[in-house]
Amino acid sequence: MRKILLLAKREYLSSVKTKAFFVMVALMPVLMSGGIITVAVMESQVDTEAKRIGILDRTGQIAEAVAEAARIRNENAIRDPETGEQTNPAYEIEIITPEEDAAAQRVALSQRVRGQELHAFVEIGANVIRPPAGGPPTAAERITYHAPNAIFHDARRWIRGAVQNQIRSIRFAAEGLDRGLINRLFNCPDVEGASLVSVDATGGVKDAVKSHEGRAIGVPAGMMFLMFMMIMVGAAPLVNAVLEEKMQRIAEVLLGSVKPFELMVGKLLGTVAVSLTVLAIYLAGGIGALYYLELEDFVPFEVLPWLIVYMIAAVFLFGSLLIGLGAACNDLKEAQSMMMPVWVLMMVPMMVWMQVAKYPEGAFATIMSLIPPFTPMLMLIRQSTPAGVPAWQPWLGLVGVAAFTVLCVWGAGRIFRVGILMQGKPPSIGSLLKWAIRG
Amino acid sequence: MTNAVELENVTKTFGQHTAVDDLSLQVPRGSVYGFIGPNGAGKTTTLRMIMTIFYPDSGVIRVFGDERHEACADRIAYLPEERGLYKKMKVRELLIFYAGLKSSADVRPEVDRWLEKLGLTDWAHKKVEALSKGMSQKVQFIAAIASKPDMVILDEPFSGLDPVNADVLKDAVLELRQSGTTVIFSTHDMNTAETMCDRIFMIFRGRKVLDGTLRDIQDQYGSDVIRLQTDGNTAALQNLPGVERIRDHGQSQELRLADGGDPQVVLAEVMARTRVRRFELARPSLHDIFVRIAGPEAGEASHA
Repeated sequence: MRKILLLAKREYLSSVKTKAFFVMVALMPVLMSGGIITVAVMESQVDTEAKRIGILDRTGQIAEAVAEAARIRNENAIRDPETGEQTNPAYEIEIITPEEDAAAQRVALSQRVRGQELHAFVEIGANVIRPPAGGPPTAAERITYHAPNAIFHDARRWIRGAVQNQIRSIRFAAEGLDRGLINRLFNCPDVEGASLVSVDATGGVKDAVKSHEGRAIGVPAGMMFLMFMMIMVGAAPLVNAVLEEKMQRIAEVLLGSVKPFELMVGKLLGTVAVSLTVLAIYLAGGIGALYYLELEDFVPFEVLPWLIVYMIAAVFLFGSLLIGLGAACNDLKEAQSMMMPVWVLMMVPMMVWMQVAKYPEGAFATIMSLIPPFTPMLMLIRQSTPAGVPAWQPWLGLVGVAAFTVLCVWGAGRIFRVGILMQGKPPSIGSLLKWAIRG
Repeated sequence: MTNAVELENVTKTFGQHTAVDDLSLQVPRGSVYGFIGPNGAGKTTTLRMIMTIFYPDSGVIRVFGDERHEACADRIAYLPEERGLYKKMKVRELLIFYAGLKSSADVRPEVDRWLEKLGLTDWAHKKVEALSKGMSQKVQFIAAIASKPDMVILDEPFSGLDPVNADVLKDAVLELRQSGTTVIFSTHDMNTAETMCDRIFMIFRGRKVLDGTLRDIQDQYGSDVIRLQTDGNTAALQNLPGVERIRDHGQSQELRLADGGDPQVVLAEVMARTRVRRFELARPSLHDIFVRIAGPEAGEASHA
């Protein structure tokens, strides 16, 4: 035991006492959440330059109203009401008189868009207000928005609203209906998601909490990414560590002093300690951040002990597989191909987590989360959804993970024992299994 | 004197290849025991079995009289042939770690003593990757012995060292011997084996071919070597009566007498042909014996 702890301590210090470790601890959350942050940053960086849009209105009844709507919008809706900072571009509407040669006019307008004189031009067909019944819509019944990249233009969405509004107003007026009345009649409340109502300890009824997207998806996702990061931080470097010991013949020196199994367990314990250290840093940071943002309700305190227990199991499980396979290889290149199955096992939860988080009580989620290599991540997701899971399932999952982990450590220990001193051709999967079973 | 290591009929195979074949061996306590043998003969496998890194397929290995000798592993230090040091660790840290795996006592004084003795004190806080080859070999040596083991097993301890460093390590080995430590080392340098070892053991194709003191071994081969320096060249030495083989060293020659060859006759004949400057009747050197057993022309003889 003294030797195992000594090995674990060395493994721990050799990981933690490096600059690379600090860089990684700092960068990992950035990389993991990089996508989300980038998108958020990009969205806040909107283009606020005024957009000039030509409207070729063949009905003669719409363009004026759109231009008026744009003028009202430019005055009222493009600035942040508190700071007064401009957050959206202004739209300038240019009303274009239809010419006889429609095709030539379209070409001319397209040319103006290409010349960046116009942001886009809109053609409103002559019959859009009162389309003849039946038959497929003809050109005269369509509204088209022309731009080099029309699909992604925010202006298109706004134009649609403004044009449709005007068409409806004209139709209402024709039928003698009051626009204000219609608006009032159509004004209904939204359907909000809310949790179930329960009775608390004092017998009082706890009010349902309003469901929050962040709580429903963000927390489970956060928990899963945390778990995944811990496995990556802890287990992944083990391959390199084992290869170093094998290639530098350090293993031979160590095995003169300790048994192979002691060596492996020592490495695993050191690795678990590294993961726990990083987890402590991230949890402290994450919880601190949520409190700072006054989102402390989001912290799933009841799930945290499970996070720690599952993480220890997962690091042991994947770590032992990586150590065993690493010991069987002679260099990094070989190891990379050998590791593929293990990476796949790690990635499966990443592929199905959405489904599991959305329907945590479904059969798919239940079964997947009870398959040992997936349990640490998927059970954790289900536990951190607002719905939760039946109390027995995490325990059953834990028993499965523990049993599977013992199996992996045992088998990997046997592969490790044979592989660590073996040089030359890497063994096939078949002979690895043989080593694991027969020892 | 009790034996530090006893091997009885030990066999170890790897797949089809028999690395060690029915080997028996006794290493007396407190002796310096030299393992010689060509590459791939089974030296390292034997050493690893003594270290319990490998287990024999059959046969018994006793260390300090104990058959289940994993428990004794802490009393044995091992310096493998290829150096195994963590490159990113600092020298002293690494030594304390390695020695600490063997000994629960405080190993720091012994580590510092050896660092000083081998002239590495200035490097104690440098990373291993900054060391030269000779230095890292000395570090590896300290790693093996800083736990004050009762026996050290050194696989090629002096290979690749310059003469100065080799002497430093040889002195260290002799110091260990004086303090009563049993030393087993393998070497390709016959000179080292001749001068340092109390007993020499040679393994060839997994089998023991020599075992005993240098004198015992040389006695087996008799005084059948003539070392010769003449004014002539080897051409003058061709077809001498009673001479089996000539080895030319350039400035001197070594003749091996055939069975029943008479050195007096050889001397007379050589004197008749050229001027003799040196004529010495000698026992074969260990080098010579090694080559006779394992050399290319000895193939048939050793099979017999």
